[in-house]
Amino acid sequence: MHSIYARVNNVSATLSSTVMALLAAIALSSFIFTAQPTGSLDIASVKVFAGEARRYPHRRQEYAFVNFNITADLSPLFHWNTKQLFVYLEAEYTNAKGVRNQVIFWDRIVRRQEDAVIAVSGKNKYPFREISAKFKGSTPANYTLKYNLMPFVGVLTHGEAVRVTDPIDFPLARERVE
Amino acid sequence: MFSDEIKTLRRLGFRHVLLQILNFASVLTSGLMIWKGLGLITNTESPIVVVLRSAHRRIRVSRTTLSGSMEPAFYRGDLLFLVNPANKRYETGDITVYRIPGQDIPIVHRVLETHDVVKVVNGVRETTPLPENQLLLTKGDNNYLDDVELYKGLDWLEHKHIIGKVRGFLPYVGYVTIALNDFPQLKYALLGGLGLLALVQRE
Repeated sequence: MHSIYARVNNVSATLSSTVMALLAAIALSSFIFTAQPTGSLDIASVKVFAGEARRYPHRRQEYAFVNFNITADLSPLFHWNTKQLFVYLEAEYTNAKGVRNQVIFWDRIVRRQEDAVIAVSGKNKYPFREISAKFKGSTPANYTLKYNLMPFVGVLTHGEAVRVTDPIDFPLARERVE
Repeated sequence: MFSDEIKTLRRLGFRHVLLQILNFASVLTSGLMIWKGLGLITNTESPIVVVLRSAHRRIRVSRTTLSGSMEPAFYRGDLLFLVNPANKRYETGDITVYRIPGQDIPIVHRVLETHDVVKVVNGVRETTPLPENQLLLTKGDNNYLDDVELYKGLDWLEHKHIIGKVRGFLPYVGYVTIALNDFPQLKYALLGGLGLLALVQRE
């Protein structure tokens, strides 16, 4: 009854069940924190240039170049179960062929609350290409700053920090930089 | 050394041994049923995956996923819980687990672009794009470039390549499976030990 085997068995059973209960409590607690980040997003300019398509050097494809200013305070999203934030800037539009597109062209990983106030005036980090080769005839694009909250344990949540007030048109493609 | 155990085994008789084997088998099968039931609810072939980081050591097991490219979010040994809602499109920012045909080990990467292609069927354009026609581009958070080079000649990732998207996260627990796969002896020792214990256990 009081053998080593029984003791080890009891201790490990208690340990694992308490750890599991604690982890579950932490995971559930993050549903209580429903902070909404604030900020502003301003698209300074959108330019479109024709270039070579990736992998197909003889095919032309249009690339959009976006300059933007972000000021956002994401620090309310940091609580005891926030491991990191994946913050990304996304353009959403429908092209002339009726294809709805969502493209991430800038992102940042925020790992500390001290870094959660974002003030960036930047440009594309990733190429922003149109799948049908031309932006002509596309609807104006909606630009949104979104985030993905990644916890230490539990459910991953997605949210929207800020979006532009009005959708922005794509300009006509230019052949070269002036 | 085992004389005591053998003695108890003799005393308990054949029926008892059969009963214990049945108990052990029911434990194994209920585990399998929970796994398959989870798969049914979440609509994925593997609802829980283990992050397996080392790209140079290819361990041939399913239910594991290759990444180092998602650090600092996911490390080796982390458990990821997947869902794959039927008839729903993926969004940018979703973390998907996908397998390219001809590749053994799935990859866990984030969706960078989605394109909801509208197909023309028999000369009629569909009114709403179907999720299975969606084209996707993914990228590891820790990588500089997107995944086109990993697609083995495909230009886009398609809905059918995706096993599921990451919904929940539990760190470190997957090390148990990694250890069992890295050292098969451990697996057999554990299974054998459990079986023996189940046999000689009283009542």
